[in-house]
Amino acid sequence: MAKVTVDGRTVEVPDTTNVLEACRAAGVDVPHFCYHPRLSIVGQCRMCMVEIEGVPKIQASCTVPVRDGMVVLASSEKALAARNATMEFLLINHPLDCPICDQAGECKLQDNAVAAGLPVSRTVEPRRQFPGYDRTSIGPHVIADMTRCIQCTRCIRFCSEISGTGELSLIERGGHAFVWTHEGKELDNAWSACAADVCPVGALTTKEFRFRKRVWWLDKARSVCDGCEIGCNVSIEHRDRVVYRFLPRVNLAVNDFWMCDYGRFRAEELNGNDFTRPVLRKAGTTRETHWGEALDAVKAAVDAAVSKDPASVLVLGSARLSTEESWLLAQLFKGTVGVPHVEFHADLGPERRIKNPAVPGGWLVGREAAPNSRGAEAAGVARAGKGSALARLLDGSYTPDVLYVADAEFTSRVSDPEFILALCRAKTLVVHGRRTNLLTDAADILLPVASLAGKEGTFVNVLGLVQRFQLAIVPPPIVRTDLEVLLHLGKRWNAFDPQWTAKAVFERMKGTVPGYAGLEWDSAGLVGNDASASPTSAYDVLLERRLANPAEILAAVAEAAGTAGGEK
Amino acid sequence: MSGGANTPVETLPGQPPVGEHGALSCGKELSFSPGAEARFARLLTRYPTKQAALLPTLWIAQEEWGWISREAVDYVATRLGLSSAFVWGVVTFYTMYNRAPVGRHLIQVCTSISCHLNGAEEVFHACRKKLGDLKPGQTSADGKFTVVEVECLAQCDKAPAVMVNGDDHARITLENLDAFLSELK
Amino acid sequence: MSDFQPVLSARLGKKNSCALATYVADGGYASWKKVLAGSKTGEWTPAKVTDVVKASGLRGRGGAGFPTGMKWTFVPPKEKRGAKPVYLLCNADESEPGTFKDRILIEKDPHQILEGMMLASFALDVKHAYIYIRGEMVHGAEILNAAIDEAYAAGLLGKNVLGSGMDLDLTVHRGAGAYICGEETALIESLEGKRGHPRIKPPFPAVSGVWNAPTVVNNVETLCCVKHILDRGADWFKGIGRNERNTGPKLYCVSGHVEKPGVYEAPMGIPFKDLLAMCGGMKGGRKLKAVIPGGSSAPMLTAAEIIDVPLDFDGVAAAKSMLGSAAIIVMDETTDMPKAVTNIAKFYAHESCGQCTPCREGTPWLHKMLKRIVAGQGKKADVEMLLQVAGQMGNGMTICVFADAAIAPVLSAIPKFREEFEAYVTKSASPGFDQPAAAGITSKVAERTAEGMHS
Repeated sequence: MAKVTVDGRTVEVPDTTNVLEACRAAGVDVPHFCYHPRLSIVGQCRMCMVEIEGVPKIQASCTVPVRDGMVVLASSEKALAARNATMEFLLINHPLDCPICDQAGECKLQDNAVAAGLPVSRTVEPRRQFPGYDRTSIGPHVIADMTRCIQCTRCIRFCSEISGTGELSLIERGGHAFVWTHEGKELDNAWSACAADVCPVGALTTKEFRFRKRVWWLDKARSVCDGCEIGCNVSIEHRDRVVYRFLPRVNLAVNDFWMCDYGRFRAEELNGNDFTRPVLRKAGTTRETHWGEALDAVKAAVDAAVSKDPASVLVLGSARLSTEESWLLAQLFKGTVGVPHVEFHADLGPERRIKNPAVPGGWLVGREAAPNSRGAEAAGVARAGKGSALARLLDGSYTPDVLYVADAEFTSRVSDPEFILALCRAKTLVVHGRRTNLLTDAADILLPVASLAGKEGTFVNVLGLVQRFQLAIVPPPIVRTDLEVLLHLGKRWNAFDPQWTAKAVFERMKGTVPGYAGLEWDSAGLVGNDASASPTSAYDVLLERRLANPAEILAAVAEAAGTAGGEK
Repeated sequence: MSGGANTPVETLPGQPPVGEHGALSCGKELSFSPGAEARFARLLTRYPTKQAALLPTLWIAQEEWGWISREAVDYVATRLGLSSAFVWGVVTFYTMYNRAPVGRHLIQVCTSISCHLNGAEEVFHACRKKLGDLKPGQTSADGKFTVVEVECLAQCDKAPAVMVNGDDHARITLENLDAFLSELK
Repeated sequence: MSDFQPVLSARLGKKNSCALATYVADGGYASWKKVLAGSKTGEWTPAKVTDVVKASGLRGRGGAGFPTGMKWTFVPPKEKRGAKPVYLLCNADESEPGTFKDRILIEKDPHQILEGMMLASFALDVKHAYIYIRGEMVHGAEILNAAIDEAYAAGLLGKNVLGSGMDLDLTVHRGAGAYICGEETALIESLEGKRGHPRIKPPFPAVSGVWNAPTVVNNVETLCCVKHILDRGADWFKGIGRNERNTGPKLYCVSGHVEKPGVYEAPMGIPFKDLLAMCGGMKGGRKLKAVIPGGSSAPMLTAAEIIDVPLDFDGVAAAKSMLGSAAIIVMDETTDMPKAVTNIAKFYAHESCGQCTPCREGTPWLHKMLKRIVAGQGKKADVEMLLQVAGQMGNGMTICVFADAAIAPVLSAIPKFREEFEAYVTKSASPGFDQPAAAGITSKVAERTAEGMHS
């Protein structure tokens, strides 16, 4: 460990820390562009200039390792003058197009221009243009505008060091240098939008979010991607009950700084409900109804079947339900009602990967296409394998009277008519659904539920980490979350109290569900409850509180340091 | 022509060179001739990494095909296990890899300080004018000449210095320019 | 002074000077053979070769003037570097405007360079050395390759050189047109097959250079000096030159407005006026106006400032410029200073690698402003602004010293020839408006920001 004094505040940091991170730990956020904790250090934007006592020349703080006893003057006149100079150089050729730039509001250049720039422009020379290299698609998700590029090369380093695909390079040199792909090749890899994430300015933006919403209008909810079992931590960015995008949240134990394009662009999928009321279908007639009637009908069908034979009811959970929801499902049907068949199925593949140095092998791999099979199993829902009721239903050897499907999208096979025909052999088909598909079309009782953005709960990811996701948008009126549906249904057997929240369910189940003992709802995995610490463990906190005051940052850093495990 | 042989200095700085930056296509698939293949194989024995052979391999490619096309970049990248974008980044960093076909005589006029003091800019302009009002980097209609401005050729005692392809020419002035050009066939 | 006999350039005028036979006939490779033979008897060790070079006081001829022997001692000893090889790179990327001494050595006496490299390789335990030659020297590369082939054939290179048990390979690596590759870490990047972007130091190349191995980069002329030091001894070398900090023979490249421009060899520290006399004086007898004494990146000196200056590292430094590559660019009274500075600014704008913001953006900015001024579109405040912009580019603001080189002509020429720059802006026809460039803005904002940061 090394003791470093930054602007009069002394902190102790690991010897491998660079001065920029040491400053951050001391609560001094040195502005920077090219530095990124996960990318190689190039020290070329020259924004993070600081003075170091005993070193005659001004230094780029990201390039200098700390030394015990080092005294850093991060806000001296010389340091500020150097940063003023760099800002001026960056701005002489940068277009004044913030009003039409998507990055505005979360642009490092804007932020740093406020923090370290001149109030006036001294140049009258024409600004550099890149005809033919502005507003151009360079891949399936990314649009590049080189007039805005500040040549920090983060995107290039992302593609060579993280994705390992090397699609981008600096082309030309000097004042003409710009970032591009080779002619005829695209920026097309599984994580390509992360190149836009690391872009500090509006040079790389994603097609999906471009011109959709000014970022300062966006509210953020901490959530977890449900695209696969990795469970990348995401921020659901939304406004007026519309989800606009996912951004990866830093979790050093899980997705590090990244997420894959597949998961990211599921965001807008979360919008919209095709059903605004429960639906009852009987003898070819379809009618919308109210929850009371629908749930009574479910109870009646289940009771009738159970009185004949409890095994004539098949309850299909889902690896897409939260653990709380799976627990309610198991408690109600297995416990209270006494149904033996409470199962779930999760699709395998395609394989998703996230690079993370904290994981043995360097890559976190997700094979299951659902986020929570571990939580479902822990909650008491059985994985449908060979000889399971679901398998027998599909091979024709078992026909339930009631089939209760708690997730209309539990497998991609719901678009397969053969598959649906097999399920339809049940006399009564109850389905939780949000989007119209063959299964919801076939349902006798259709219960409209909210998307991931409309609910809260916990998932258990591939590493066995419990990760909580927050509510982003309130579902439309009448639409309920799966949790609420199960609570109200359970009320009919006097099993649950409909007033319970996800937190209340969590508290009730945590003593008995493996992996949940001792966890607290408020801290469960929101920033990765056991994210192993590193010099950058506070990065996420800082991202969330970009403009917070130094005292608050200090407190956050101290907090993060307190929960620190080992260093990497 | 677009792209230009060497980035025309005259358009610098400020605006990028006229036309495309992207690698031009030569419209055919490329592979080394046996001779080039032998040189390439020998090259690889001289360095501890394959990547280190990139600059000399690009030289071989340029000698083979006259210029570095999109296909040449892809070919070299494949041979050395590099990404095409990386190779193109390297090609464009250096001025001597031609990014379009050039004339039989690539006339490179030095205009750096010692040559400037001896009137090199006038020679550069006169040279282009005489060959048919060529723009910097442009190739004459008959495909014989391409004229570019280059930085110091380390022939400052022979200012203004001119290099034609790989050959050095000393003291090319407005007076002897005609004679100099007529010797190039 | 008149009894000085050329050393480095002694063979340049000879017939077939590039051939191995003539080189050997002139006593060439004697030191290489002597050292290899002595290595078996213990008479010569790598440390001893290094000590001789150290004792000679040889300072690098590439520009920075760093003591060569000391540079060699920065390579970690074998027990520390482990299995990593040591590489020697000969910097033949001679691109500094005004410099052409290495070209002549390469084209006229390549074996001299090879022998210097062999001796340095012995001292540094190098098994493979590279010559990084600039792409423009097409014939130079051919000549070096021919010389290397001859040396291999004669057993002077390759496996078990002359039965000594030492292996040494030598490879010529051609650049492809980039001034920055003369900077040693950019040269290393270029040799590795990358864009020539200078590296962050530390680590210095001697510790971690090419392929992450300890690397020594020496200039062509420096390595030639090594050969002669081993031929004739450290004391002989030390005996040449103005004082013991500035020793040995030196090649001076004189260009510009002199009667006989060319490479001149003289003892280190020859006064400028004597060198000018060797060149036959000013062209057409015109008056001397200014001199750039060390390639275009050296600050300009006026006639009065340079005339008595001894041309060595310390002498030129005392005059507040630098000897650099000893490229003496002479300008007479007809020289239009703003135009000359504009020309140099264009060079730096073209050659900036583009990594660091101040250099990537600053060099074209300086050039644009200068171009506007000499085109008659300048304003009075522009001259001051040139100084201010240049003033915020150097001194640690960038990874390498390219930016410091780029601003030197501006920062030296404007104060010394301010009236010429002002003449351009006062006769400017442009109505324009004065920039808010006045000094003070920067510091005012600094104050404001400083307050803001602590609030």
